[in-house]
Amino acid sequence: MFQIDLTSRKPIYEQIMNQFKQLIIKEVLRADEQIPSVRELAKQLTINPNTIQKAYRELERHGYIYSIRGRGNFVSSTIRKVDEEKLDKLKQQVENSLSELIYLGIEKEELIALIEKTYSTIKGGNTND
Amino acid sequence: MIEVRQLTKSFQNHEVLTNVDLTVNKGSIYGLIGANGSGKTTLIKHLVGIYKQDAGEVTISGTKVFENNHIKEHVSYIPDEVYSFSMSSIKNMASFYKKIYPNWNAQRYISMLQAFELDENRRINKLSKGMQKQVAFILTLSTMPEVMILDEPIDGLDPFMRKKVWKYIVEDVAEREMSVLISSHNLKELETICDHVGILHKGKMLIERDLDDLKSDVHKIQVAYKAGVPEEVTKNVHIMHQEKHGTVDLFIVKGEKKEVLSKFNQYNPMILDILPLTLEEIFIYELGGMGYEIQNVIF
Repeated sequence: MFQIDLTSRKPIYEQIMNQFKQLIIKEVLRADEQIPSVRELAKQLTINPNTIQKAYRELERHGYIYSIRGRGNFVSSTIRKVDEEKLDKLKQQVENSLSELIYLGIEKEELIALIEKTYSTIKGGNTND
Repeated sequence: MIEVRQLTKSFQNHEVLTNVDLTVNKGSIYGLIGANGSGKTTLIKHLVGIYKQDAGEVTISGTKVFENNHIKEHVSYIPDEVYSFSMSSIKNMASFYKKIYPNWNAQRYISMLQAFELDENRRINKLSKGMQKQVAFILTLSTMPEVMILDEPIDGLDPFMRKKVWKYIVEDVAEREMSVLISSHNLKELETICDHVGILHKGKMLIERDLDDLKSDVHKIQVAYKAGVPEEVTKNVHIMHQEKHGTVDLFIVKGEKKEVLSKFNQYNPMILDILPLTLEEIFIYELGGMGYEIQNVIF
């Protein structure tokens, strides 16, 4: 289920966190479902248990999971299912396209008009429903 | 828990360790790194009670280690060169270990022999170097230690065997909160397994920290400005190292990520990449800051 990239510069606990977030957002892991214990996952991935513990602690702090003493960790049911990673990626794409347009000499007003137009087609359509 | 306070040791007139502090928490995997001759093995030999310190304290679970058999029963040690009695087979060594270590686990010994596909009747000295290391791991882990100390242990093992050894160690850390201290020059491997690291340099403990904290504190920044790097950018920023490749500047910077980033972003860079450092890079730049010739390390 988990793929840890040991050659990545990203800390291992962050990799574990992100993979759990993805699984939770995509509802592969459902609300109130139990996730593997620290020991189980440590053994399975041959990763330092303290690293897994840290990932779980951060996930709990961010509201993705909750823990019950003596029973384990469970997927939280209340999180906003926003895929932050995807959001960032899309924003980055828009930024890149915008820089290219600016570089090609498109004026600021024209860009703003484009945004207004796109926005009103989508949002404007919704209000008429 | 291993605690070393203000440990000092000299051989003849040469001071090998100077006021070394070291703490390995229970259930932690601690990587001890340092250049050749920095004192790693000397420090380790204090931890297992082979050397007596000139000054300072060395304790495991709160009691002094030197000439304390009770503590040594729960500490296991794999030196850089494994020793076994000449003529003895794996079986002979196992029965010797059984007499010395009260927590000897025969069941684990047998299952590990099977896992590593070794015949216990073979003479240890006739085995290859790598296989002798495997035997050392089997014997050591079968004593069910509370503290495991490894001096450059994995270098002779093939990747498959390393993975197996790590599986056992991680299991013991997870199940029984075994503490592990490991010295190695294989920083990539340490980086993936340790939670704490200590860097020893010329007999002094340079840094001792949580590995993730250490890594989130130092950044590698690649940046390019239209008209070169503005002077203000590098003011009040702790720069450990700086290189120039054409129009792109490379900085190794210490500090909080957000702060550093906003500093560099102020002057509209054309490109700006920020990356966490690998343990290898941290090691090189920290020692570089101490006057250790970087040129000799990077090739």
